[in-house]
Amino acid sequence: MSPTNPTSRRDFLKLAAISGVALHSSSFAAQLLAAQPVGPGYLTQEGANQSLVVIFLRGGADFMNIVVPYGDPDYPAFRPTLAMNLDAGLIKLDKTFGLHPAMASLQPLWGAGQLAPIVCAGSMHSTRSHFDAQDWMEFAAPGDRTVRQGWLNRYLAITEPPKAKASDFRALGMQELLPRSLRGNYPVLAVPRSLTKKKSSSTLDAFERFYGEGGTDMEGGAAMSGEREADAAGVVESGRITIETLRRLQEIVAASDKKSASQSVSGSSYPDSTFANRLKQIALVLKAGEGLEVSGLDYGGWDDHSQEGTVDGKMATRLRDLSSSLSAFCQDLGPALARTTILVMTEFGRTVKENGNNGTDHGHGSTMLVMGGGVKGGQVHGDWRGLKQDALYQGRDLAVTTDFRDVYNAVLENALGFEPPKDFFPGYKPNKMKTLF
Amino acid sequence: MAPRSHASSPAQDDSSALNERERAAHLLARLAYGPRPGETKRLIAMGVEKWLEDQLQEQDSHDPRLKTWLSEYQTLGLSVKECAEFTYTQRVDKKTPSQEEQRAERIKRRIPLDEVVWSTALRAVYSDRQATEVMAEFWRNHLNVSFTKGQNIYSMVPDYERSVIRDQVWGSFPAMLVASATHPAMLTYLDNHLSRRPPSKQELKEIERQTERKTGSKERAVEAVQIATQRGLNENYARELLELHTLGVDNFYAQNDVIALAEILTGWTIEGGRKGSQAFHFNAAMHVPGDIKLLGKRFAEDKEKGPGQGMEVLAMLGAHKGTADFIAMKMVRFLVADVPPASLVKEVAKTYRTSKGNLTAMLRTIVDSEEFWSRKNFRTKFKTPYEFIISALRVTGAEIDRQASIGNYLAEMGQPIYHCDDPTGYYDTADAWLDPGVMALRWQFATDLALGKVRGVKIPETFFDQIPYDAPPRLWEHHLTTLILPGGAGPRTRAALATVTSEYLDQKGKRVPNLNQIGPTLVGLLLGSPEFQQQ
Repeated sequence: MSPTNPTSRRDFLKLAAISGVALHSSSFAAQLLAAQPVGPGYLTQEGANQSLVVIFLRGGADFMNIVVPYGDPDYPAFRPTLAMNLDAGLIKLDKTFGLHPAMASLQPLWGAGQLAPIVCAGSMHSTRSHFDAQDWMEFAAPGDRTVRQGWLNRYLAITEPPKAKASDFRALGMQELLPRSLRGNYPVLAVPRSLTKKKSSSTLDAFERFYGEGGTDMEGGAAMSGEREADAAGVVESGRITIETLRRLQEIVAASDKKSASQSVSGSSYPDSTFANRLKQIALVLKAGEGLEVSGLDYGGWDDHSQEGTVDGKMATRLRDLSSSLSAFCQDLGPALARTTILVMTEFGRTVKENGNNGTDHGHGSTMLVMGGGVKGGQVHGDWRGLKQDALYQGRDLAVTTDFRDVYNAVLENALGFEPPKDFFPGYKPNKMKTLF
Repeated sequence: MAPRSHASSPAQDDSSALNERERAAHLLARLAYGPRPGETKRLIAMGVEKWLEDQLQEQDSHDPRLKTWLSEYQTLGLSVKECAEFTYTQRVDKKTPSQEEQRAERIKRRIPLDEVVWSTALRAVYSDRQATEVMAEFWRNHLNVSFTKGQNIYSMVPDYERSVIRDQVWGSFPAMLVASATHPAMLTYLDNHLSRRPPSKQELKEIERQTERKTGSKERAVEAVQIATQRGLNENYARELLELHTLGVDNFYAQNDVIALAEILTGWTIEGGRKGSQAFHFNAAMHVPGDIKLLGKRFAEDKEKGPGQGMEVLAMLGAHKGTADFIAMKMVRFLVADVPPASLVKEVAKTYRTSKGNLTAMLRTIVDSEEFWSRKNFRTKFKTPYEFIISALRVTGAEIDRQASIGNYLAEMGQPIYHCDDPTGYYDTADAWLDPGVMALRWQFATDLALGKVRGVKIPETFFDQIPYDAPPRLWEHHLTTLILPGGAGPRTRAALATVTSEYLDQKGKRVPNLNQIGPTLVGLLLGSPEFQQQ
């Protein structure tokens, strides 16, 4: 079977559904797949050729000091050493909110109506554990430890037959390990930093005999223990997918490199950072037009319990890198930006009141950012209820007035043309965000 | 000479017992980072019980080279204060140091980081007390601290590794918990050293008065008061102490318990400053006074104005059923299976309760269990990147020098030593590590190692001396398989290796085949094989 044979991935999914054998322990999408008639009914034409990039800020970013409610009369008192106002350089978004000055590079996008913050967004679950909160947001199943398949992976698995061409390179995690949102039965490549270039393809060739299609039954009998053990744990499957998808990526990167070398430079300049380099690689694949629908990338280090800083400082440094990278990415995409949606999120907000060490502790409601061509940006979305004691969650944190799954729902529908079927998000009653796109 | 078919174990169902060779391979896979050359045979000769006894009796390796190397490190034996002094550069005059001087200062400050990372890898590769190294890695992750926190933690980690992790590996969990809770590295990593009660009105007045006297500025005094007003509680350590170190997430506790514990632990700080001891210090002035209720129980204020209240809480947590269950579950998951058998977890938790958290006793319960030796759990656990790299270095008898670049490979695979930003530590289950794509990095390392392309690492030529000199070339791959996969290889792996060998021999035609040509290729393939990814 050739590596790009359309039936190969699909067979794998079906196999996963039947046997429960999967790369990862759960087969939630497989169950959905079996239960739901999969057909083009979920898909709209507008979704074709569109792409979603999800950036996860790990550690619980203090979004209240990123999209800052400077106009809320109670804000300064909660943040005696951390508050910022327009005089400090906040970029005015409206009469209540201003954007952190370190994010000035995103101002043109805001001006062009391509940046939409959704304030007081997050998970209704009360957890303040980073690890539960991240899991539950990325598996999109708050409080349910049995769902172990990422929401983006479920999307990919469910839409495989009607949506994608066999040759499509649909998804990637642009880092050494996948974000949880991309984990699951649908094979998604975690892109190794050093191996996107063709010159490393000989390694893949050498191991094809050990991991490639077929060959399990060489001696006519049942596979013997060593291999059976590795098989059961998904190692062989993972290796096979590695070979298939990495080869395909190497082709795409080589072709895209060639193309961009022959074209004039697009004028975008990425900062010199790991995050920027990874975004640049995503742009390369996106511009290649090979069907990339979903990509994921993490940005770590947002757990600012102490010395968070304001206009300058630890968080500002990260914000500067984040936003100048994103700004360069959007420029780099050029016309493709119209078909690209970027979602920036974190696991929870932080305490409204700063803590005793010029930092903030784990809180509840946060902000999500949606950027790109289709979004109704240039306005702040979400329901802000102020910072009076009775408006706060448990008297200390921002309340969640927009369930993060409302945003997922809207993004899936508008950015990818996919209307999630019932129970795509377990236990969730869909609530349409009418104004976001 | 062994006939070809011995390279793999015969087809087995899950109920059959492991044979002698498999038992040795299993023990070395789980309580060691795999065998070094000759070790499987030695273990079979001495017997499982004797091997275990040696491992549990003492933690220090007898390997003379390792001893020499460790003795050359400058910071591993230092206390936090000594290490801070060692890495501190006294500036002779006040002028800004030159770029060169700044560079020298930076390098000096980094010495403890490099030495801790290096010695950890060296010990894991060379120590003949492997169980200590394996369990040290478990505790390093359970009670994670990380160099990513920043420079001020650098000088604290050598002492943390020595006094909290290594010295306690065969001791008791409650003792280890106290050691971690009172260690500057943990207090810094999770910000507890800063956590304090908010200042009283009187104190604020005092600050205002003193600042004004010192600076002569009313404005500065008001500013100082504003800043001081902000000083207060930090929940970071209290939360992780409950969630990650003892009870497990949202088990028995709620948000109000996190706050209560944070209050109890106010004043648990470090005696800082140039003259300070740099050791744990209870600062009564920072402490929230009074009795505090936690987990439904009242903890009385320490009448001696010491850390007694917090110590009582730690003792309560160390003796808590939730802690016993949580630690037992994690140990069984680490040593036996990603989905830990409930029956064994229950047994180990019982041992925890009856032995007051004795870690040797808990390990014994695991190793003496049916579950540990069950074929169901034989070679079914996916190695973490660290386990993969260390076991590859061991099985090939690789010599590594101090400048070896294995740190780069670990970083790219997502598991650099002592650099886990998250307080969870690195995960030890396949679902955290087995993403499509990661195998490519392992193949790259396997190939680079075998072909001598990993800087500072060399597989000695004597490695191939283990193959009988009169072995026919067609059996070379069989011998190498036995060396690298003592638990055997599956038919596809064997067939693939046979094909590579055949291609080589065909290409040679009538010229004499050379083990040094094809040997490294085969070793690289074996290290990258599906079987080698499993322990």
